[in-house]
Amino acid sequence: MDNKEKIKNIIRTLGEHPDSEAAIKILTDMGTNSSDDEIRELTAQTLIRKNTHESLRVVLISKGKGINDLSATVAMASINELLALKDKKEAIKILDDTIKMHSDEEVRNTARSVRALMTFSS
Amino acid sequence: MEIGKLSLHKAISPKKVEKAVDLNENKFATNPFGVSFKGNVIQADVFESVKKISPISKINEKSKLFASAVVSGINNFNEAFKSRMNSVVSFGKKITTNVFDTLERIGKTEITFDMEGIKNKIFPDRQYSVKNLSSKTVNELQDMWKKLEATAA
Repeated sequence: MDNKEKIKNIIRTLGEHPDSEAAIKILTDMGTNSSDDEIRELTAQTLIRKNTHESLRVVLISKGKGINDLSATVAMASINELLALKDKKEAIKILDDTIKMHSDEEVRNTARSVRALMTFSS
Repeated sequence: MEIGKLSLHKAISPKKVEKAVDLNENKFATNPFGVSFKGNVIQADVFESVKKISPISKINEKSKLFASAVVSGINNFNEAFKSRMNSVVSFGKKITTNVFDTLERIGKTEITFDMEGIKNKIFPDRQYSVKNLSSKTVNELQDMWKKLEATAA
């Protein structure tokens, strides 16, 4: 098992950890800022699966993270994970707020596209 | 030498032998060699037993011998068996006391095995399985992650 696989297992464990707040903080601080695409991808997916306001905010609003990631693979994986959510209410609410109020136009456009996808998929 | 030959011939002449046989023929019918030694004639038949042992008595004697051998054998066996049993019993007692002592010691001794530590030493990657990681705190996981990133760089 190489180091990347070990880190992936740590991310998976944090995704199911009972101390959810602390786990989200570590995932946000370490996972989303990783130089490795696979780790960023898995972190974004894990945060979306958490489906809390804090975890979704990171992958929907932050520039260069989640759906706004420069890597198309990471961005697409994040969108797929959002579409796979059973309860999309919180994600849609954050996306609506981002479309209305975010300062960065690129982020607003991405949010609008994802919002449209989620509307059609639900 | 001739004198010797003559005397011997005279002593065992066929006539004398025949005479002796004739004399003894009637009296010692059972002793065909009715030769007298210094005037005494052997009355008893030395070649054939006068007493006839019946087969039953032979069997009885044999069975007695056999029985006595069996009895002595049984006695010997009993003694050997007793001595062996004594040694076996003493051995058993010794074992029993040893076992009880050991059990008592075990009861008093606390034995702890750090099975997780042993497993992790045997399989170093095992501690990074999700199952093992789930027992750790968030801070521990963060430290592990940092260490892994540091070694990767």
